[in-house]
Amino acid sequence: MDKASRRFTWLYAKSQLKLKYRYTALGFLWNLLEPGLFLGVLSFVFSVVNRMRISDYAVFLFSALVPWRYFEKVVTTSMDSIVQGDWLMKKLPVSPFALPLTRWIVASAEFGFSFAVVFLIFAILKTHWTIHCLILPLSAIPWSLLGLGLGLVFAALFTFFRDIRPVVQIGLMLAFFTAPILFKPDLFTAHTIQRSMIVWHPVTYLAALFQKPLYDGAWPSALDWSVSFGVAAVSLLAGVLLVKRSRAQFYFYL
Amino acid sequence: MSGLLRAVRPRPRPVLGEDVFRLDNVSVGFRRNAIEERSLKHALAALVTDRRQPPHQALDDVTLHIRRGEHVGVIGRNGAGKSTLLRVLARVITPQSGRVFVDRGVHVVPLLELGIGFQADLSGIENVHLAGALMGYSYAEIASKMADIVAFAELQGFIHEPVKNYSSGMYARLAFALATDVEPEVLLVDEVFGVGDEFFMEKCVERMRRLMAAGTTTVFVSHNLDFLIGQCDRLVWLDEGRIVADGAAPAVARAYRAARGTS
Repeated sequence: MDKASRRFTWLYAKSQLKLKYRYTALGFLWNLLEPGLFLGVLSFVFSVVNRMRISDYAVFLFSALVPWRYFEKVVTTSMDSIVQGDWLMKKLPVSPFALPLTRWIVASAEFGFSFAVVFLIFAILKTHWTIHCLILPLSAIPWSLLGLGLGLVFAALFTFFRDIRPVVQIGLMLAFFTAPILFKPDLFTAHTIQRSMIVWHPVTYLAALFQKPLYDGAWPSALDWSVSFGVAAVSLLAGVLLVKRSRAQFYFYL
Repeated sequence: MSGLLRAVRPRPRPVLGEDVFRLDNVSVGFRRNAIEERSLKHALAALVTDRRQPPHQALDDVTLHIRRGEHVGVIGRNGAGKSTLLRVLARVITPQSGRVFVDRGVHVVPLLELGIGFQADLSGIENVHLAGALMGYSYAEIASKMADIVAFAELQGFIHEPVKNYSSGMYARLAFALATDVEPEVLLVDEVFGVGDEFFMEKCVERMRRLMAAGTTTVFVSHNLDFLIGQCDRLVWLDEGRIVADGAAPAVARAYRAARGTS
């Protein structure tokens, strides 16, 4: 990406964040209230389903749900970034990476705000803290890179095929409900289809990067790290290559 | 994604001699039914039955060299390919065939539309920084020129207001002031001289003359033939994507007017 596109990406992302909160009555506070309310309702409902104490379940749920929401937001907002950026892509030689990257930066900043809310809630719910929580910034990296990679892939594909949005949304929904985010992995007994599905589900390992330090008070395993970073690297590579490969065609489809 | 493999990307490399742009046998085609083609459904159907119409050639085998310091006007009827040509020079469009060389050593500012990059809810100052970044300037470079930009645009009392509150004239003045105050080495201008009132338009033309006299290479697309004859030393006449004439401004203008029966 050239220097002008890099500068623009950073300034544009900053301006998007600024504009988002400039004219709202509660301003920055909305950013804390919205995920707080969402997490509160979900933890109440699913603590009943999972027959767990609400405080215990909330810690489990929030630990993987917050990074999932971040990942999902990066993917879905990046997907239409190139198409919605036609006002720019058709007038200036800006890098096609600039617009998905802007969405990624904005979502990353909001993820930071959301995690601040989670820690406020955990301060009330969580009875003991362990040193394992220090690993969390590293745990966020594969989620972030996976989101960016898939965001780039779908941004390129959406430019050519405008009807893929529902396919992507269904795919994300399936991935969410089949991953151990709402339920604990040990809900299913060994040698069942559900158990095998969890073992082969990449989000299981990404979720563990947050669940283990926050809920179990343990370090994520080597398998958790290698699967998470492996999947993230593959998706990022695919996204970068696809956008680079197809950038010359974007103009004609905008 | 059809045609992906056929795409020929511009390969900018240092040009020989004084050329800033060199286009060799460049062709750009647009599919006539591109809107309905933008779906997975259509792509899958096309695997079975390929009913695509041939593309409309916006540029057809165009060869054009523009030297450093030249002032070139591009003329032609609507749909002749003028704006497409400017977008190829600006590296916004990658042609399907042919070769494009752009001297990477020069700073090219495309002025294809006034206010590209402006965000309605941001203030004038914030927009100048954002659009300045798109033109390749750093925050510090724009900050150092901010006072001049605001003074030229005559917006001293409004520069902290969101640009959505500006009149169309104020908006265009700010955008023009930014694009020309930074003194680009190459300026590509597409019909943007409807800026503000008559007095301000005169100011804009005067600034353009100053830039051109200082050596800025300029390529104008305009329907205002008298303006182009006055400002350009060379005219390129396009018709249906092909170059009909390329030469000294008065001679090409005469031929163009004769062909249109307006001489």
